[in-house]
Amino acid sequence: MMASAPRSETQTAVPALSPERPVIWPPRARTTLSNGLEIVLVESHTIPKFTGQLFFRSGNAVTAATAPGLADITATVMRTGTTARTSRQIEEDLRRMGADLSSGAGADTSVVSFGGLVDFSNDLLLLVAELTQQASFPADEFERERRQLVEGLRIERATPGFLASERMRKILFGAHPYGTISPTEAQVESYRLELLKDFYKQYYRPGNALLVMVGDFSPQAMLAQVENVFASWAEGKVGEAPNPALPELHGRRVYLVHLPGAVQAQIVVGNRAITRKHPDWLRLTLANSIYGGAFNSRLVMNIREQKGYTYSPRSGAHPLRQHGYFTISAAVRNDVVAATLTEMFYEIDRMRSTAVGEDELADARNYLSGLFSLGLATQDGLAGQLATSTLERLPEDYLETYRERILALTAADVLDAAQKYFDSANAQIVVVGDRAQLEAQAALFGPIEVYDAQGNRI
Amino acid sequence: MTQLNIPIESMAFPNGLRVVVSPDHAAPVATVGVYYNIGFRIEPRGRSGFAHLFEHMMFQGSTNAGKMVHIKLVNSSGGVLNGSTHYDVTNYYESVPSNALERVLWLEADRMRALKVDDENLRNQRDVVKEEVRVNVLNQPYGGFPWLDLPPIAYRNWSNAHNFYGDFDDLDAATLDDVQKFFKTYYAPSNAVLLILGDVDVDQGFKLAERHFAGIPSGPQPDPADIDEPPQIDERRGIVEEKFGTLPGIAIGYQAPRRLTPEWCAAAMLDRALHGGRAGRVYRRLVLEQQIAVDAEGGIHYPVGDLFDYNGPTLMVTRLLHKPEYSADQTIAAYDQVLDEMKEKGITSEELEPIKVKFRSNYFSMLEGGHGASIPRYGLMHLLACFTLFDNDPRLVNSILGGFMEVTPAAVQSSAIKMLTRSNRSIVIRQPAKKGAA
Repeated sequence: MMASAPRSETQTAVPALSPERPVIWPPRARTTLSNGLEIVLVESHTIPKFTGQLFFRSGNAVTAATAPGLADITATVMRTGTTARTSRQIEEDLRRMGADLSSGAGADTSVVSFGGLVDFSNDLLLLVAELTQQASFPADEFERERRQLVEGLRIERATPGFLASERMRKILFGAHPYGTISPTEAQVESYRLELLKDFYKQYYRPGNALLVMVGDFSPQAMLAQVENVFASWAEGKVGEAPNPALPELHGRRVYLVHLPGAVQAQIVVGNRAITRKHPDWLRLTLANSIYGGAFNSRLVMNIREQKGYTYSPRSGAHPLRQHGYFTISAAVRNDVVAATLTEMFYEIDRMRSTAVGEDELADARNYLSGLFSLGLATQDGLAGQLATSTLERLPEDYLETYRERILALTAADVLDAAQKYFDSANAQIVVVGDRAQLEAQAALFGPIEVYDAQGNRI
Repeated sequence: MTQLNIPIESMAFPNGLRVVVSPDHAAPVATVGVYYNIGFRIEPRGRSGFAHLFEHMMFQGSTNAGKMVHIKLVNSSGGVLNGSTHYDVTNYYESVPSNALERVLWLEADRMRALKVDDENLRNQRDVVKEEVRVNVLNQPYGGFPWLDLPPIAYRNWSNAHNFYGDFDDLDAATLDDVQKFFKTYYAPSNAVLLILGDVDVDQGFKLAERHFAGIPSGPQPDPADIDEPPQIDERRGIVEEKFGTLPGIAIGYQAPRRLTPEWCAAAMLDRALHGGRAGRVYRRLVLEQQIAVDAEGGIHYPVGDLFDYNGPTLMVTRLLHKPEYSADQTIAAYDQVLDEMKEKGITSEELEPIKVKFRSNYFSMLEGGHGASIPRYGLMHLLACFTLFDNDPRLVNSILGGFMEVTPAAVQSSAIKMLTRSNRSIVIRQPAKKGAA
């Protein structure tokens, strides 16, 4: 096909936006089985596949005081054997179904994620049910996974991003379970198989579980399959994770993690904030987007596009179940650590002291509204949104009303959120890199403590 | 079910620009891509890293949309955008609510027409790119392993063998004149394809494309690049120091067959038999059974590309991290045994058929997403672009699976015998600077 003769003039004005098409919400089925298992099923016919996540509302936080990382190790070893299948059979069966499966745990949840061709959905559900109800925890598989985990921990201790996150969480949450993001090698060596089996027995229960599935199926037909597979699972109730007191944080303090030979400085600035259930959550989300949560944000414009200090500046509000926190981060060249911190705080203080203009406000609202729509256009994206809102027990219409609630926010809302949750005066500062090159610059911003990569004070 | 029916319409403007539209109205969002037939493989000699640095410059301003205007207009329309440099293509893409489609096309057309950048922009982005290289390579455990380590060992032609991210001296030497010359040479409409996917009608897509792109002046086609490699006759080896990580790493690369040939289809199935996750033979043997390695991955054009997005020499790569109590020689011997078994005994249909099911399943997922949740259909866009620029046939997306599904066990075995030879491979060892673990 050839086009007709082209027009020669160039359009110099930005084309206007045409009217927005509404998001059409796909049919979904939501129910709870008599054993307590919550189920959300949504159809999405983008590809002849489906994706699923079976969550348990217990993660590493429930055992953090005695056995950090236990939920994650339990989830990892769980997939290596059942009373009916060996590790090799599990992997080969997954391949036969064109399926992927992974298992792991964060602070608040353990999860089995799976997906595959719809033709094999029943077989895959049977395997997921078997893994979560009849895992056999083979001793040799446990020993192999333990060694892999230890080797992985050693590599993490040489990774700037990990070291910065670990230190920041320790500062913000102290002895609270959220203060520890990873076990030590010694802890991993000390874990016995019985500990994993106990965790599995106690927390992998339908009354503690949520199943989300999105894909090329009819929700009603899939519900029948799911009921058939999971209805016989014996009921079980589970308690909440402990929530001990948090450390008091007064004034800016600096924590330098010494990584010999580093050729760049990883900076993270943070303070505690709020969870997704908090009434201010969307205000904070919008304030974060204007500050450093988008490419077109103030922090990125300043320290990347104007000053060229960094490739990777960003800020984020991180909601955990019991508490949340806010961070600002950038990996910068060694000689601009002080200059970068100065700009980070300048932009924070500007957000806290001056109302955002109407144009910038409207741009940021549109950005979050559009990003939300993009996130619903794939099976994985839709599943993620549904999982978050259901796990956190957000209102039933949370997703449907999200965009209109974002679009209703004002400059006063943004100012209010910045003043409450960008805690400039008490911000905690972590810098990971070569001490000799960074310490004098970092110490300009508060009393300084220096740690090695193993977490020891030096 | 290997013939797909994804709607794909294509046309070409008199200036040489090709346009592909693939409508799907399920969600009110659209993804737009512009792909140029230039990647880091064929950047100018003495300017390593230039193709990627140039990609950054494409966000620094065009005639009617100055510095940051592209980013601001896309974000404020509710969209996201990025670009990336590959071996043989460079892409620029946006996902937006579909009411912003015309705005995005206008932006892409404006920067295809002319760049408007200055020395300050260049200095700024040179600094940004250096921090990118540090955060991704120089300051990370196993940074660049093996995508930057293998090419200098495996290849003899500078185009295939040089540092694609760029030596800092070369980045410093780049001038604004280089930028404009590169733009003129490689960014003509005839060296590009425009892709419009999602919530758009075919006629509307072509009409909007014509309005904004058809008037861009044509330019000369760049000379075909010389990326030929002399035949490899001996195994090649090298050692690179691992500054941060505690485990030794080994990467092994075999020269892979030419794209879109039956040998390539067979090699792809062989690759999945060896590297297809935890059920793959390499992971199963070295990690799960013998427990010599703690990680094993691999693929054709792995890890910065895939089976479809290159147009010249490439490798089938295996990447291993192994326990320090095993030597590199012991590890390679165990790996060789896995390969020798494939060469000697081949593969049964019982093993091959599930591999095909998994391949088909992965292909669907790649089309739908392939780049995180916020760029719907990135994978489909990427394939349409590569099949247009390399093969002039975007509809290969619908038919390409057929060739893989027809591969026989005998073809996989002959592929192994032919490809997996010592003289066809290169090996790089990442040697930790620190002895053992703490």
